[in-house]
Amino acid sequence: MSLLEVSGVKKIYKTRFGGQSVEALKNVNFTVEKGEFVAIMGESGSGKTTLLNILAALDKATSGTVILDGMDVGKIKESQMAKFRRDNMGYVFQDFNLLDTFSLEDNIYLPLVLAGKKHAEMKSRLDEIAEPLGITNLLKKYPYEVSGGQKQRAAVARALITGPRIILADEPTGALDSKSSDELLDLFTKVNQMGQTVLMVTHSTKAASHASRVMFIKDGVIFHQIYKGDSTDTELYQKISDTLTLLAQGGDLK
Amino acid sequence: MNIGLYPKIAYEGMRKNGKLYIPYCITCILMVAIYYIVHFLAFSGVLIGIPGASTAVQMLGFGVYVITIFSAIFLFYTQSTLIKGRKKEFGLYSVLGMNKNNLGMIIFYETIMTWIAAIFGGLILGIGMSKVAELGFTRMIAAPVNYDFRISTDSVLHTIGTFTVIFLLIWLNTIRQIKFSSAIELVRSEKAGEKPPKANWFIGILGVIVLGAGYVLAIRIQQPISALFGFFIAVVLVIVGTYLVLIAGSVLLCRILQKNKDYYYKTNHFVSVSSMAYRMKRNGAGLASICILLTIVLVILSSTSVLFNNSEYCLTVRYPNEIGAFACTYGYDENLTDLGERLDDILYEAAEAHGATVTNNKTYYTYSICGYLENDVLQVTLDSLSDMTFIDYDKVAQIQFIDVGLYNRVFGYNETVEPGKAIVGTANDITLGDTLIIGDSTFEVSKRIDDRIDEIDPASKIAVSPTIYMIVDDVEEVAQNYIQYQDYNGEPMLAWYWYCRFDTGLDVDGQIAVANDLSAILNEELGPLNFTNYYCDSHENQRTDFLSTFGGLMFLGILLSTIFLVSCVLIIYYKQISEGFEDKSRFEIMQKVGMTREDIKKSINSQMLTVFLIPIVFACAHLFMALPIIHKLLMLMGFMNMPMLVATASVCVVICAVFYAAIYKVTSNAYYKIVS
Repeated sequence: MSLLEVSGVKKIYKTRFGGQSVEALKNVNFTVEKGEFVAIMGESGSGKTTLLNILAALDKATSGTVILDGMDVGKIKESQMAKFRRDNMGYVFQDFNLLDTFSLEDNIYLPLVLAGKKHAEMKSRLDEIAEPLGITNLLKKYPYEVSGGQKQRAAVARALITGPRIILADEPTGALDSKSSDELLDLFTKVNQMGQTVLMVTHSTKAASHASRVMFIKDGVIFHQIYKGDSTDTELYQKISDTLTLLAQGGDLK
Repeated sequence: MNIGLYPKIAYEGMRKNGKLYIPYCITCILMVAIYYIVHFLAFSGVLIGIPGASTAVQMLGFGVYVITIFSAIFLFYTQSTLIKGRKKEFGLYSVLGMNKNNLGMIIFYETIMTWIAAIFGGLILGIGMSKVAELGFTRMIAAPVNYDFRISTDSVLHTIGTFTVIFLLIWLNTIRQIKFSSAIELVRSEKAGEKPPKANWFIGILGVIVLGAGYVLAIRIQQPISALFGFFIAVVLVIVGTYLVLIAGSVLLCRILQKNKDYYYKTNHFVSVSSMAYRMKRNGAGLASICILLTIVLVILSSTSVLFNNSEYCLTVRYPNEIGAFACTYGYDENLTDLGERLDDILYEAAEAHGATVTNNKTYYTYSICGYLENDVLQVTLDSLSDMTFIDYDKVAQIQFIDVGLYNRVFGYNETVEPGKAIVGTANDITLGDTLIIGDSTFEVSKRIDDRIDEIDPASKIAVSPTIYMIVDDVEEVAQNYIQYQDYNGEPMLAWYWYCRFDTGLDVDGQIAVANDLSAILNEELGPLNFTNYYCDSHENQRTDFLSTFGGLMFLGILLSTIFLVSCVLIIYYKQISEGFEDKSRFEIMQKVGMTREDIKKSINSQMLTVFLIPIVFACAHLFMALPIIHKLLMLMGFMNMPMLVATASVCVVICAVFYAAIYKVTSNAYYKIVS
């Protein structure tokens, strides 16, 4: 059984006064296996963020099911939703979403504190991940004192610390310069090699080329996918570029 | 650049930030209105002539300064938080090519607009409210109602002057903030995130010390009249201390809590402690303002309502019997004794003509002398003093000499006093030695009758300066020793007092008729003589007077409390709204990270409850510390009942707390709406 099964997901946005409706997602079907590093690519407005929000249970699908490790995300009660998210998913945002009232350390602890863990346990969990993420020396600092790349690493640590089944990343390199982006993507690769399932949404070819599988979304449907297989990042980069060119030209890959 | 552009930009900027600027403007308007009303009541003379209002006028005059300091601190702080949110806008203007002077112009126009709104709105509101106050007041004391609009030019000018200075300072402070940051800093100021508040040990501890000093000063003041300046200092210290403690001290507390890892890393404490540290830094001033307003309300409400509650007691002390009469003249005259006895007979006869049965009659006369009492020595000469204002009221005491024969006869004792000795009694809080030197004469204390003073005159225990009764062998002889003393006007210091009081057994109308009749007789008898003061009144007649006086004061108290409470409501509303906008994104993030709605609600609740409990807890502490001095001030108006004051203050605290809780509930709903 796959870790994540998405079948027939559809999302229709109604305008405020119920007049026009926009179909953001038409019919999305895919699965993610445990330990995969999947990138979902698409242009702005293609529905990729909507999809991620539905996967993260931040938004509800109009129809279709999302099953994470046997649990139907759509059927979880509203009151249990936050707890479910906290226990099973780690979310990395484009704009970091760190709280400026907390030091990086406290930001990372936040989900654990919410889960009611003891300080000693939180400390040992943080010690495990701080070193590989390279944030050991930054922990006492506040978000405004560190660079974007450092903030995003702290955000990754926050997503990882609960030991989630899957990490969902929404355009994680979007607000970073190219050097920080590279570092972050290497980090994701490293995390993935440690066995962590990662699902990333991006429009950056560079970012997607780090993934083990790239899916393309256009006009609300999964249009195409490329497996990395044995190819290097550079080869995958080339493949993605070609696909995007074809997509832009309106070619039919199916 | 077009000159008209700046006002336009300023106006648009304020309009776009209306949600924050409108409450700010309303707060300014209220501050101006409060200042005007208090100034008007204190200095326009509208209260003059209302018996007992002189203390109120004095306190209001002093309140003007308190309000000035308070509005300056509060408006300053509010405005600086407002401008913080607009730095990005200013940064953008400077990126687009405006220099610092141009920005200064925009801020200038903004300040001018707020100034105009505040002054005009505030004065109109203030004048309207002061008319309402005046009407209510005259109704209460049954004076003829006058529907003219009385506007005090003096108060208007003072209001404009004070607030112009405050707004000027605010403007300069804003300029300073803009001047010292570059365009890019301004643009980024929002994005950069706020620095975590540092625990400022110095300011925090300073706050505690200042507050403590204010408390100690307030408690140690013995004599409210001479120490009014000291009282003022105490109030200012408490205000400043409250601000310091709430701004810095609370951050300090949060930091200490954060050090305790087991406490801090708990779901309930984690978010609330850390955001409280920020909250207190930003909104400590708001809380301190709420706290001070609440304190003012509590002090006004409890003191005026306790006076009203107590008016019956006060009446009984002043007029222990149904009929009371009094006469006073200066100097010594051997015929006065005869006059006193003749007056007694005439009055009793006149009362009996109305069908009264004279009972419980206590009619006596005393010779009295005033002076400075130090170490049991009464120094009588005041002629070195040219001005009343230099008199040290702490030391002034009044001696009343009563003839032992008269005392025995009237009060039913059988005392004997040898020449050169005296039976001494005082109801006031002073201790006397065994030998008293009054002027040039020395008296040995042969007996003390402190516990019998109520019989002689119950009102003496509520007198401002202590009265010492001395029962002597021969009052005429004693009095003659003091003939030569004169005050700075050349008037004799020695005074002859005649007291008369009795019950009639008549109904209310009868008592009033007797009192009127006796007044006429006194006028006839004493008018031609050189008497400085004489009157006769009935207990019942005075009841109306007392009720109207204290009722008037209570009305004034309620009016002022209402105004202060309304401004308190606005500050709370303003605080909630601005915090709501700040917290909106923070709660969104927390929800994404996995905080349930319930967690959020719980965390908001506990945080707001703590934050909102602080002002009322501090206000109660302030009130508690102020009780001794309030009690002393109320003594001037004939009040002496500490347990009753404590009880009334507690009731006022409960009423205010309920009202406060209601405001809190309503405004926190506004907060929830913004956040969710």
